[in-house]
Amino acid sequence: MNFLEPAAFWFALALPVVVVFYLLKRKRVVKLISSTLLWQKFLAENQANAPFQKLRKNWLLFLQLLMLILVILALARPYFAAETKPTRLRVLVLDASASMQATDVKPSRAEEARAEALKFVDGLRDNESMIVLQVGAITEVKQSKTSEKAALRRAINDYKPTDSITRLDEALRLAETLIKNEQDPEIHLFSDGAFPFPEGFETKPLPLVYHRIGVSSDNAGITAMDVRANPDNAAQRAIFASVSNASSNVISGRLELSFNGQTMDVKAIEMKPKENVGKVFVVDQKTNGVFTLNLVVNDDLAIDNQASVISLLPQPIKVLLASSGNRFLEKAVKAAPNVQLSTTSDLRLSGGDYDVVVVDNVAPIEWPTANVLAINTWRTNWFGAIGKLEQPAIVDWKNTHPLLRFVNMQNVAINESLAVKAPPWALPLVESPQSPLVLAGELNNQRIVWVGFDTLASTWPLRVSFPIFIANAIDWLNPATSRAELLSVQAGMPFHFRFENPVSSATVTRPDGQETELVINTNTTEVLYGDTTKRGLYKLKTPDGETDFTVNLLDSGETDITPRDELPFGKNGRTIATTVQQANLEIWRWIALAGLVLLMFEWWFYHKRTA
Amino acid sequence: MARMSAPLLTAELLRRLEQFQLLAARRAKSSARGERRSRARGQSVEFADHRNYVLGDDLRYLDWNLYGRLDRLFLKLYEEERELPVTLFIDASESMSFGEPPKFDFARQVAAAIGYVALCGFDRVRVRTFPEQSADAAYLGALRTVRGRKSSLQFFQNLGHLTTGGSAQFNDALRRGALSAQQAGVAIVLSDMLDPEGYEEGLGALVGRGFQISVVQILSPEEINPETYGDLRLIDSESGAEQEVTFGKFRLKSYRQTVDNFCQRLREYCTTRGINYFMSPSNASLDQLLLKQLREAEIWG
Repeated sequence: MNFLEPAAFWFALALPVVVVFYLLKRKRVVKLISSTLLWQKFLAENQANAPFQKLRKNWLLFLQLLMLILVILALARPYFAAETKPTRLRVLVLDASASMQATDVKPSRAEEARAEALKFVDGLRDNESMIVLQVGAITEVKQSKTSEKAALRRAINDYKPTDSITRLDEALRLAETLIKNEQDPEIHLFSDGAFPFPEGFETKPLPLVYHRIGVSSDNAGITAMDVRANPDNAAQRAIFASVSNASSNVISGRLELSFNGQTMDVKAIEMKPKENVGKVFVVDQKTNGVFTLNLVVNDDLAIDNQASVISLLPQPIKVLLASSGNRFLEKAVKAAPNVQLSTTSDLRLSGGDYDVVVVDNVAPIEWPTANVLAINTWRTNWFGAIGKLEQPAIVDWKNTHPLLRFVNMQNVAINESLAVKAPPWALPLVESPQSPLVLAGELNNQRIVWVGFDTLASTWPLRVSFPIFIANAIDWLNPATSRAELLSVQAGMPFHFRFENPVSSATVTRPDGQETELVINTNTTEVLYGDTTKRGLYKLKTPDGETDFTVNLLDSGETDITPRDELPFGKNGRTIATTVQQANLEIWRWIALAGLVLLMFEWWFYHKRTA
Repeated sequence: MARMSAPLLTAELLRRLEQFQLLAARRAKSSARGERRSRARGQSVEFADHRNYVLGDDLRYLDWNLYGRLDRLFLKLYEEERELPVTLFIDASESMSFGEPPKFDFARQVAAAIGYVALCGFDRVRVRTFPEQSADAAYLGALRTVRGRKSSLQFFQNLGHLTTGGSAQFNDALRRGALSAQQAGVAIVLSDMLDPEGYEEGLGALVGRGFQISVVQILSPEEINPETYGDLRLIDSESGAEQEVTFGKFRLKSYRQTVDNFCQRLREYCTTRGINYFMSPSNASLDQLLLKQLREAEIWG
C-alpha cells in the first residue's frame, strides 16, 4: 500500500491530544458534602440500569481514536498498485514566455497560472492522467504521462517563466503527437494568449481548452534595437529603437541610452494607445562596447523595458572587385560607407586578405573563401541545371530582409537572366514566376549573394535602388557585421559562435553571475550555448580571450501583453479555443476536515452537558 | 457547629403551640404522676371501676349509693393519671451541619417545638443526641430529663448550645436509648437518616421497647437538588470516604429518583411498623411541619 499524501500522517500528532482530553477529564472538582450515601445509591442504581457505563466511556475514547485514525488514513490517501483501465489524457501546457512575468495580476501571471494549474490537478479524476509541458522559445516536458498528483504538482511548482518568446506551434505539435491514439484527450493551455497564433492547425481539430491568465494590457516595451553607422557621417553610430505601447492608454516616459553603463542620451517619449514609436540616437563611439536602451515607464512588464546591443568599432571593409568592366558597379561599391576597394582582372581569386569579393560577369578559376557577391556567375556546386530566361518579370521581393532594406524593384526591367532552382541554403530575395533572380544565403560559413542577371543588361543601375542594394550587400557580406549579429540573440534562441582558432575550453557567465562550463569537442572552432532564457549581458570566456554577447527579448508579440479572450485557431478561425472548462475541485478533503471539526464539537458538547 | 443566635422559636409560634397536647395512642406507663391516663388506678376524677371493700380501705372512696341499693360495701376506683415521657433523639453528627439553613438548626427547632408542647402538658422531656459531644456534656446533662412548663426557657437555651460533629452511629444510639429508657413513651427521631449502616436496627429497637415513634427526616436542599455539576470528587464529611462522580443536568432526574426511592423505602419501613414518618427539607417552613403535618398525623391535637 502506498500513500499519495504521506504528509497527512502529521495529523497523527492529534491522537495523543484526544487521549490527553480524556486524561484532562479525570481532573475532578473536590467537594465536601454531608454524606456520599445518596450518591453511592445513585451510582449503584444507574449502573444497574446501564451496566456498561464504565466500559462505554472507554469505548468512546476508542471510537474517537479510531475515527481520527480513519480520517488521517483518508487524508493520506492510500492506494494499491493495480491494473487499471486506460486513462484519459490531459496535456497541460504552461506558457513560460516573457509576458507571463507581467504583474497585472498579483503577484504575477505565472503565479496565477501555477495556481490555476494546481487547482486543475486537484480536480484530476482517478481515470485521468496528465502531461505537463512548459512552452517558451523551446518546449520542455516537465512531467511525462502520469496520474500521480504529487509528481504533477512538483512539475507545476517547478515551472518558471523565462525571458523568451512563445513558440506555441512546437508545443502544439508535440501535444498533438502525445494525444495521438488517446481516448478523449484534452490539451489545456494556461496562457495570456500574447503570441501570434501558430499556423498549420487550421484543419486539425485539436481538443484545446484555453485558460486565460491576466487582466490588463498596461505595458510598453522596446521591440527593436539596431546599431549602425550613421548614414550621414560614417564615423558616428546611429542607434535605432522601436518602442511600442500595447496599452489602451497614453504612456509617457523617457528612453535612456547608455554605453558601457554610462548614460549618453535621454529622450522623452510619449505613445498613444497601440502606437509604435521610432527613436534614433546619434552618438560618437570610441571603443567597442555595449549600447543599452532603458525605457523608463510605469507598466506591468519590466522585462521588455531594456535592450542591449554590442557594437564593435567600424573597421574599413576591404572589397575586391573582379569584373569585366562595370562602372556603375564600381561607383556603387565605392560609394558604400567605409570601403577600401581593390580591383583585379586575375581570375585566380584566393581572396584571403579581403572581407568581401565581388565577382561580376566573369567566371573565376579559383573561387575566394571570403564572402562573395556574385553577379551573373555561379559556382558549379551551387545549383543544378541552369537555363536562360528572357525578360523575366519581377513579381516579388522581400523588403524585410536587410539586403533589400529601402530597395524598390518595381521599376526595374531585365533583358535576360539565368534560370535556376533555389538551393536549400539560399533564400530567394527577388523572384520572377519562373526563377529566383537574387539569392542570399550562407554555405560552409561563407555568405553569398547571387544576382542572376547582368546588371548592364537591365535598367537597375539607372535606378536609385541599385547603389542602396550594393551598400546593403557590402554591409551584409562584411564579416564584422555578421559577427556582430551573432553577438545579439533573442531570448531562448541558442547562441552560436565561431572562433578563428580552435579552443580547448569555454565558460559562459550569465547575467546573474552564474557560470557554466561548456562541453566542447577538442580543438573545435564553434560553440553553442542554449540556456539563454535570461535577458542581459553574457560573457563567453576562452583561453584566448573574452567575448560578450547580449540576449534581448525584442518581440512585439510579447510586449503586447493584452490577454486574449479567444485564440483564433488558424487563419480561417475554424476552431475557437475559449475558457469554457472549470477545473473540478476536489472536496472530499474538506468533508474529512468537517468530520474532524465535528469530532471536536462532539467532545466540546459532551463536556458542556456535564458542566 | 455554631450556636444559634436567633431564638429557636418565635413567640407567635410558641403561643400557637400552647394550644396543642401530645396525643398518646397508648396508656402512659410512667410511674410518676402526671396528666396522662394510665392503666394504673389511683387518684383522679375519672371513675374506672368498682371492687369489694376489704378491711383497711379508705372509707372516703366507698360508694355509698351502691351500698344503699345492694347493702354491700364497694370501693370506687379511679384512674391514676400518669406522665408521658417524651424522648427526643437528635442526630448531631457532622452531616447535620450541612444545608442552608443547617439541618441541625431545623432539627433543634422541631425538637424545641415538640419539647415545648410536652412541657406544657406536664410531660417529661428527654433529649438524647447522637453522637454525644463531649463539649456539650453540661447541656446534655441538663437536657436528660426536663419537666414542667417553667423549665421551657432553660430547655430552649440548652438546646441552642448543642453542637455537631463526628459520625452518627444511628443504630447504636437508638438501641442504647431504647434500653436505657425506664418507661417507653413517645420517641421523636430527628435525623437525616443518611447513615451508611442503615436505620432499621435502631428503629426496630425502639419499636420493640414499645415506643410510640415519629421519624422526622431532614434533608438539605443541596441533597435533594444538587447544583454542582461536572466531574466531581465528593468527600464524605463523616467518614472521609471519596466518591467520584460525573454529574450534569441530564442526570438530575435520575438522582431525584434515587432520593425519592430512598425516602420511599424509609416511609414504607415506618408505616409497616406503626411509625409516623415525616420528611422535610431544612429550608422548609417550620409552620408547615408543626401546625399541619404533625397535626394531621395526630401526633398532637
